[in-house]
Amino acid sequence: MNGIDGTDRQVKTDEGPPPSLLAVVLDTNPHAWAHLSSTLPLSSCIAALLIFINAHLASGNGNEVAVIASHSHRAEWLYPTPHTTSPSHRSKLNGSTSSPNGTIKIPENPNKYRPFATVEQSLLQNFSALLSSTKEAHLAATPTTLIGGALSLALSYIAKSVLRHSPVDTGIENPLSALADSESSHTARVPLTSRILIVSVSGDLANQYIPVMNSIFAAQRKRIPIDILKLAGDTVLLQQASDATGGVYMKPEQPEGLLQYLMMGFLPDATARRSLVMPSAGGVDFRAACFCHRKVVDIGFVCSVCLSIFCEPNLPDNLCLTCGSYLSLRAAQTATPALIPRKKKKKKRAGGGDSATPGGSTPAGSSTPMHL
Amino acid sequence: MADSDYSIDGEDASDDEYVGPKAGSSTRAQASSGKRKAQATEIPKPRKLAWETEPSEAVANPVEAAEEIDEEVLEKSVQEREEDRKRKRLRKDTKPFQRGIIRHVVLVLDLSETMLERDMRPNRYITMIRYTQEYVREFFEQNPISQMSVLGMHDGLCIRVSELSGNPAEHIAAIQGLRFPRSLQDLPKEPKGSPSLQNALELARAMLYHTPSHGTREVIIVFGSLISLDPGDIHQTIKACVRDRIRVSIVGMSARLRICQEIVSRTNAGDESEYVIATDQELLRELLLATTTPPVIRSTEDTTTTPAESAAALMMMGFPSRVVEDVPTMCACHGNLTTGGYTCSRCSAKVCSLPVTCPSCQLTLLLSTHLARSYHHLFPLRNWVEVSWERARERGSRECVSCLSTFPEVPPEDVDDEEMQDGERLQSKMDGDAARQRRMDKEDSEEQKASESARYECRACESHFCIDCDMFCHLVLHNCPGCLSMLNPASEVQENGDVVMTG
Amino acid sequence: MSASSSQALEYLELLPRQTHTKLYEQPSTVLAIFRCMLPHLAKTIVMAMLYMPTPFAASDLDAWFRPDGKREREKALAVLEQLHIVVPQQDAHRRTSYELYPGFARSLRQALEGSGTHRSFGVPSSTPDPKRVTVAFLDEYARNQWENILFYMVGSTVGLANAGALAQDVNEGTKALLRAGDFVKLAHGRVSITRAGFTFVLQETNAQVWSLLIVYLKHAPQLSMSETDVLSFLFMLGSLELGQDYTTSTLSATQLQMLEDLSAFGIVYRSSKDALTFYPTRLAVTLTSDSGALSSSEPLAKSLVSSNRDGSAQGFIIVETNYRLYAYTSSLLQIAVLSLFTKLTTRFPNLVSGKLTKESITRAVKLGISSAQILSYLTSHAHPQMQKTQPFLPPTVMDQIRLWEYEGERVETTNGFLMKEFSSESEYRDVLSYAESLGVLVWKSDAKRLFFVDRVEQISLYLQKKKNRSG
Repeated sequence: MNGIDGTDRQVKTDEGPPPSLLAVVLDTNPHAWAHLSSTLPLSSCIAALLIFINAHLASGNGNEVAVIASHSHRAEWLYPTPHTTSPSHRSKLNGSTSSPNGTIKIPENPNKYRPFATVEQSLLQNFSALLSSTKEAHLAATPTTLIGGALSLALSYIAKSVLRHSPVDTGIENPLSALADSESSHTARVPLTSRILIVSVSGDLANQYIPVMNSIFAAQRKRIPIDILKLAGDTVLLQQASDATGGVYMKPEQPEGLLQYLMMGFLPDATARRSLVMPSAGGVDFRAACFCHRKVVDIGFVCSVCLSIFCEPNLPDNLCLTCGSYLSLRAAQTATPALIPRKKKKKKRAGGGDSATPGGSTPAGSSTPMHL
Repeated sequence: MADSDYSIDGEDASDDEYVGPKAGSSTRAQASSGKRKAQATEIPKPRKLAWETEPSEAVANPVEAAEEIDEEVLEKSVQEREEDRKRKRLRKDTKPFQRGIIRHVVLVLDLSETMLERDMRPNRYITMIRYTQEYVREFFEQNPISQMSVLGMHDGLCIRVSELSGNPAEHIAAIQGLRFPRSLQDLPKEPKGSPSLQNALELARAMLYHTPSHGTREVIIVFGSLISLDPGDIHQTIKACVRDRIRVSIVGMSARLRICQEIVSRTNAGDESEYVIATDQELLRELLLATTTPPVIRSTEDTTTTPAESAAALMMMGFPSRVVEDVPTMCACHGNLTTGGYTCSRCSAKVCSLPVTCPSCQLTLLLSTHLARSYHHLFPLRNWVEVSWERARERGSRECVSCLSTFPEVPPEDVDDEEMQDGERLQSKMDGDAARQRRMDKEDSEEQKASESARYECRACESHFCIDCDMFCHLVLHNCPGCLSMLNPASEVQENGDVVMTG
Repeated sequence: MSASSSQALEYLELLPRQTHTKLYEQPSTVLAIFRCMLPHLAKTIVMAMLYMPTPFAASDLDAWFRPDGKREREKALAVLEQLHIVVPQQDAHRRTSYELYPGFARSLRQALEGSGTHRSFGVPSSTPDPKRVTVAFLDEYARNQWENILFYMVGSTVGLANAGALAQDVNEGTKALLRAGDFVKLAHGRVSITRAGFTFVLQETNAQVWSLLIVYLKHAPQLSMSETDVLSFLFMLGSLELGQDYTTSTLSATQLQMLEDLSAFGIVYRSSKDALTFYPTRLAVTLTSDSGALSSSEPLAKSLVSSNRDGSAQGFIIVETNYRLYAYTSSLLQIAVLSLFTKLTTRFPNLVSGKLTKESITRAVKLGISSAQILSYLTSHAHPQMQKTQPFLPPTVMDQIRLWEYEGERVETTNGFLMKEFSSESEYRDVLSYAESLGVLVWKSDAKRLFFVDRVEQISLYLQKKKNRSG
């Protein structure tokens, strides 16, 4: 408040809630969807997703959306449509309806709001192109999906969009911040809030551990919440992702009601979430899994060179399994602090108890007092 | 006599050297006989300074040089200069070296009189305090399992600002407490007196004595003064540091000092690159933040140490699970009543936050995410190379793979380019794997410049990115979206961090 | 919500229930209302309820909101109930639950899914038009029409010599509308501008369009047009695409009549009076978009607003800390507007410069302009160079303009309603706290048990509900 005339210094321009960017990562792992096809076929999931995207676009004038498909052998952009790059990529597609320069033709439909129609058409066309270019070999190669790649694509797109929206370059620090007197932190004007929604059906993502963790830390740093909608499969990794970034995690019990879950749980954006109570996963297990047997450990042994976790200190040749460096075991064998009086007591017992149970049974009739 | 005159008048001689060609007194700096001659002619004239003489060559030169530079500068567009500046921030070498992830760092701050200089706004002391707080936060974000302690060189003594611990809030509060002490009796520690490097090194050595050998032992000194007031022989201290395998790096703010150079080179096995000078505020901040990257482990550390004390060791660590209780219970780290926390896996003591060393059984307690934070240091993302127009034409890329922003159009080919292209292609075909590797390494260690076609290519997956995605992926994300979007990236050996964890 | 949509919202809220019901049959209307008129959390609530099979219990709604989000919730629910989108019900156990009005829900679902046969998103013309027009032509046309209207209002006051000549392009219907909306008044045979007119002129274009349209709506019954038709046509216009021609065969009689008026405003273009097709201009397609706060994000501004509107959608005014003003414009209209409150000294082919003086500001204040209007005009048309600092104008200049205004003003008025004569202290406190939670409370006096609110509908509803409950 200004002391002179009691008004605020800044002229109040209309501040509605900032526009919001939603990046959807759709896990299209064919193996997993084949399992799910009895309860929830992929087509109805995509239909629900399209309505959800339309609802998001309708919720605000500046709202944007981006959709990425995470397939078994590729992570591909579904919306916005990428322009064709080198001829080698697109030659595999057979007779796609897209014109040579990659634009999608949208039929005129007076019943459909045009921006909705654009998104829907691009998404469906690109998706069918992706499916038709999948071969047997691709399916046999891996049972999981490339979620790390899709997440990285989403994060880079969000970073670029944020840069496009804020007139100040967030990369360069404000020169005023060099003034050591200004204690306040200068945040660049970022009028775009963003979030990532992952619709996941795959199970274990072990081989994507490092890329996904890197993405999680990047999202944490840029304050992008990652929401997870788990339709099938179970991974602790994605739970950790939503917990670390402050997103929503839901595993619906009735996948048929997908649309309502989406509308109520995942539609509110960052501005709305400040006033709402969002569902969360509850307690997340952050314990680690050992690299040799993949079982969850409470106490693990960590190689100091490559940070891989093992469940027991006895490794063949004392060599680390991942980096092959020789590891000394001194640090691993720190004994629990021994109580000296007990050892003394053991020595006083002549030919008595076995050393395997220090401080075990009290000798009968002995009058030596117990030290503590 | 004449010689001693030289050394005292060293500065004056340099002034005259500039004026030299015109006034003819540059002979003063040469032979003593010359000096006498010059003196005979020079004494009545007042000595002129460089900027006072008009058509002196020394002054004329910069103008000509400026004209030359102007042309080059004008040719480069604003866009390219912007990109150049951005690319410079990328790290120079991204070879996957072995790095010390578990670090024990002692940060030594200079709290002597010279820190009241006003060449940084408002003075060096306040700037340093502010940057140090930022530094502590960034350090623990990049190295979550490390420990740090802060010391200060104040009035010839070395004071302990904070103890060796892994909790950033504690350090930040302690550093803040230097300027704004929390308890009412303490006065703020104003810079006073002279610094003492020996005392600081001795105290640091004592603090690092008990740290386990598989972690690194580092001392980072922020030094703004030109002298060091030591009670004994600093060289003995340096020898002791070398014996204890402590590495010292120094960020100076004034001139380059011989003693600092010596300390740094002796403790870093002859490598002097750890001694850097910050000439202004921004550079100080950058240099300080550059030390958050874990240091490279040298294989030829110390041949006298037995293999048992080598750097690699298997460390026992606990991964506790979270508990939420109905009734508040005491925590073992502060003695406060809390309803939630983590229980140590070995002795079941309750601690409030991680990472921490269990107060009762000394077991390091971590979450797996803390380890994961350091993976990008061990498996760094290789730098991406600039794309020339020929290559852009070859690949036909029109937009960035990850953010879908369009690239500038490739200009139509000319004949000259074609010839060059053929030659280059032949060359690259004849290269074997080793030669390619060498080329990659060489390119990696060169300074990064802006690309003429605004495209940057990842060597492994051959996809093109824009400058903003380049910065984002290398500084924040540490993943290549192109490599990760393909199951088996075509062409060359995959070298970024897509490690398959066996198991 | 920008100023334009809040005006529209106010207008909508005052409509009766039947009008709402009729309006909600068209999906395009429903979509436009949803996008622009509702507060943020109201959108969230509506979407959550859209696909719910059963009514939403009030207790669940309470549990869904955080304790500190209570105020947002109240505001959202109030607007939704006012617009008859949400219908509260009470079941046998006196538990309230909320349900979406079925017509609204159905239309919104149709809009989202793209289903139905309503064709309310504009039927494009199937026959190719021999005289196709380009987007640039449409922009030019819209600009000309709109500027003529504005110039008609401003020109005569400022005393520009050729005001009469330009004003001849404005047709009689428009002039009548402006008079009816109290933007101009006829005095001694000359047209002069009123205070409301100043507010109108100094607003940004989107808000101007809406103000004029609301006046038009209010007078629609007099012109024997049905309000719902007009409104639904307006909302449909907002969802059309620029550059595409649409057929007039699906429009009702009211809407055909509207086309004529709208083309006089510059909102649509028809190649001739009886053409079978019409083209929406940029003014039409941005009717329902939020081109409010333009200055904060330039790329958005470029995409939404053409660079030809009003001579510049980018700002063109530079204000220095010594009160000098430079405006890079050659549009007569802008110069006329500026001359209302600055002392213009020099004029160049592309630049006009002057100074903000005490006399010029007090002159403007006497004519009825407030300092807030002047400041918002200057801010919204600030040159990109000025936009690098926050706030755009130098704080000294802003403060001084306000101070010059305050020198004349001693009293500030707020229109509203005084609540008095409460029977008991507890009733007073109860209604007071309700008013406070709604955010409509302006002044209170505990000693005399009086308080002043600016909107009374919700309070009266609340009091009635209380009476029903106790009675």
